[in-house]
Amino acid sequence: MPRYDAIVIGGRCAGASTGMLLARQGYRVLVVDRSSFPSDVISTHFLWPHGTSYLNRWGLLDQVLAVTPAHTEVTFVNDGIPLTGSVPDELLRAYFRDWHGDDSGVVRSYASIRRHVLDQLLVEAASKAGAEVRTNFTVRELITEGDQVVGVRGRDCDGQLVEERARIVIGADGRNSFVARSLGLPKFDERPRCTFAYWSYYSGFDLGPAQLHRRGRLACAVAPTNHDQNMVLVWGPSEWSREFRRDVPGNLQRALDFVSPELGEVVRTQGVRAERIYGTLDQSAFLRPLAGPGWVLVGDAESAKDQCTAIGMTHAFRGAELVAAALGQWLSGDVSLHEAMASYEGRRRSQNAAAYYDYVCTLAEMRPYRHDELQLFVALRGNQQEIDRFVATHADVAPVSEFFQASNLLLLNDAAKETSAGYPVFEDFPATARMYQQNLFA
Amino acid sequence: MSLPELDQRDDDELIETILAAAARRDLEAMAVAAAEVSEMTRNWATHIPWDEFGSLDESTLDEVVADLTQMWEPADLQVDADEEYALDKNAYDFYRPAGRNLMTRTEEFYGWVEARRRTETWQYSRTLEAAPNSVAQITNDIGRRTRGINFNSQDYLSFNTHPAIREAAAKAMRNYGPHSAGSPMVLGNTRISDELEASLGELVRAEQVTLFPTGWAAGFGAMAGLVRQEDHVLIDRLAHSCLQQGARATTRNVVRYEHLNVEAVRRHLVDIRRRDSRNGILVVTDGLFSVDADWPDLVTLQRVCREHDATLLVDVAHDLGSMGPGGTGVLGMQDVLGDIDIVMGAFSKTFCSNGGFVASASPALKQYLKMFGGSHMFSNALSPVQTAVVLEASKIIRSTEGDLLRSRLHTAVTALREELIGYGLTCMGEPSPIVPLLIGNEKLARIANRLLFDRGVLAFMVEFPVTPTGSSRFRLQVQANHEPDEARAAAKIIADAIADARTYLSSAFGSTER
Repeated sequence: MPRYDAIVIGGRCAGASTGMLLARQGYRVLVVDRSSFPSDVISTHFLWPHGTSYLNRWGLLDQVLAVTPAHTEVTFVNDGIPLTGSVPDELLRAYFRDWHGDDSGVVRSYASIRRHVLDQLLVEAASKAGAEVRTNFTVRELITEGDQVVGVRGRDCDGQLVEERARIVIGADGRNSFVARSLGLPKFDERPRCTFAYWSYYSGFDLGPAQLHRRGRLACAVAPTNHDQNMVLVWGPSEWSREFRRDVPGNLQRALDFVSPELGEVVRTQGVRAERIYGTLDQSAFLRPLAGPGWVLVGDAESAKDQCTAIGMTHAFRGAELVAAALGQWLSGDVSLHEAMASYEGRRRSQNAAAYYDYVCTLAEMRPYRHDELQLFVALRGNQQEIDRFVATHADVAPVSEFFQASNLLLLNDAAKETSAGYPVFEDFPATARMYQQNLFA
Repeated sequence: MSLPELDQRDDDELIETILAAAARRDLEAMAVAAAEVSEMTRNWATHIPWDEFGSLDESTLDEVVADLTQMWEPADLQVDADEEYALDKNAYDFYRPAGRNLMTRTEEFYGWVEARRRTETWQYSRTLEAAPNSVAQITNDIGRRTRGINFNSQDYLSFNTHPAIREAAAKAMRNYGPHSAGSPMVLGNTRISDELEASLGELVRAEQVTLFPTGWAAGFGAMAGLVRQEDHVLIDRLAHSCLQQGARATTRNVVRYEHLNVEAVRRHLVDIRRRDSRNGILVVTDGLFSVDADWPDLVTLQRVCREHDATLLVDVAHDLGSMGPGGTGVLGMQDVLGDIDIVMGAFSKTFCSNGGFVASASPALKQYLKMFGGSHMFSNALSPVQTAVVLEASKIIRSTEGDLLRSRLHTAVTALREELIGYGLTCMGEPSPIVPLLIGNEKLARIANRLLFDRGVLAFMVEFPVTPTGSSRFRLQVQANHEPDEARAAAKIIADAIADARTYLSSAFGSTER
């Protein structure tokens, strides 16, 4: 009998949560991470309401909210057309019943949480649950017997080479997963078109709930986060990144001014930047195989997507609950590992999952909104129920198929209360559309 | 922990420095820059040995350069632009085109259609080369021919090749000619029109029957005739297009309820009645849903409607004649014949002709719909040939031969469903002449559709606006003439085409729904 039931590689959103949930079921769990916490990592660090609901289900939300602002309403402004909404309680409950069989602990607020705050809290929770957490531990090798993964060989915090064995090795080590790389796992459904994103942290203003703005091929967001700061993020198509990079601070401000002159003004005149500007375009989407002999992947390691819907952490939590439930059934002897993994895979590779994947990847191409889409945003105005459903769809609470359905889209159109008059984007749409194709930073 | 200092260099600059140093093979400079890279990026790019730059061997150095470049440079895309455009868009992207010229603003959509056609992913507008039986020969919209086991036609009892049906058509042609020559409100009906109304009335046990020139006209006409702007429509969100359009055309008070959810209907009715005790409420559903192959609990639905003074309309286009005891469809299966307020149907699935009808127990409703339904009064009547064909079909449906045909149909349906499920595919709904085979993603469905065309099975791929986004499928329509072996052979071909499409797109998504 190996010393552990499960070794989790990676101790952040997916890994610490999975380790915590398995330990709470009474299993012997080792969680290892190369960092020591608190520790930061590239992230949009946004939790949609189902993300915060997971924390609440696990008893961790109060700790987060003690130091993190939270809101329920979010505002989307697309080419000047504002929509303000929130994810409805009813859809959140339906989501949890559908995915996890119970709707306990649902909260409607979202939060932007710095990773140096959240990840530390998660590893502490895993440890408190009974998992053994080793930080500063670098996995060098997977130990295999035949094609079966049976453990890990790595360097611990003292620099000693150690070996640990378990019945299952869980790769929760992110997009650039060591587990996936050393197993030589292929990538599927690759979508190389993605965004580049640049962001930093500003104090000096408080705009309340989060705002997301889109104009042409560029977008920006501001969300209140820890330390009385705001995350200010701009993103655009990755093919414009070379030009953006020539002057990062200047172009960040230029992008803000272009997408939302009001927000640009606030940041320029009131914003005090607290850190350097971070950036990434390592955002292309892909899937990897989910499980094999002795191993399973969870979080970004199994399915990475562009940052543009800020869903990664919430999906990691969802994956943690799913995989911990599936593995628990196997570890308790109720089902075979194959059956347990088939149920996990069924949910993670379902058609609803495919539809949302497509939604994110299409959005990540950052093509200017089409006339049709902008007209739809106009038609939505004044229809709070459908705005809320749109927000829920964007956040992957409600299935894409329930919003983007003919009877809904056509009824929205026919029941619209407002017209497109007064939105300048419609004045000479073809000219505007041509202008949007020009790289603003060239 | 110490927060990063504001005056540190951005990662962009550092990584550029690292890559430049790597080109000079200056490991020391690489290591110096790496030490300054943000914790954010180091913890993200865990595959880069940030701390080991000083001692990289030649091959690891090359790997580091490749990995950093991949992270830092946009992907160099080589794509087939036509295919990407064809696969990428959905019809709703073109629903609200830009511009004030109604003619020219259709061109963008046309460009997409042409891209779909060029890449052979356009499933519409195929044409038949001969009568569609269990096997058919067809031509696609760019003139390519194929022949295959036919699940692409709706003729559930295979009446199109039935001798008695053809004889009835020939006889009507001889007696009345091809043309009805007028609205049914004027002089468009013949004696057999009355006979047909009576026969249909007996079949659905609602004797007040009105004929319409198409099923679409019947659904739209019923709603246009009955509903006024202050009334309410509660409609299953997957009900047929003619009913959805009818709802939107008649009132702004439209609520789409969750598919099949009678409890949701009850809640909405309570809510509406709390606000409005004066106006009418029409509750609208299909019997057998035409792309989901399921049906509502009509017993409870009708009861809930009565409790709130709402009227129920059920569209039995797909189930009447092809299912249920004596061909009575979902109504007969649930023992609600004669109990549903308004029954509406179409002849085009089982009765071997264009046309539709609305039936109820009320002679007043009948006269009102004839006057105000629009599509009845202001359309030319069903042709005598159509009327005779439907009449003959309704007789066979109610006979023992009808039972035999339905039994053969059911055998073929079962063979097809079981075989498809055996290949790990998802057949939605219940056994019925419609076998919806879920594919989901539009790209996958369009490629599978392209591959299937040449492989000996004819199947219609449905996507938006017929299905919601992301839940496209093959709608396989089975006929009494399909042999079980034929159905099983087709299932294998379809499963292979889907598997090959998945390989072509390198996709790992499966076929479960949720």
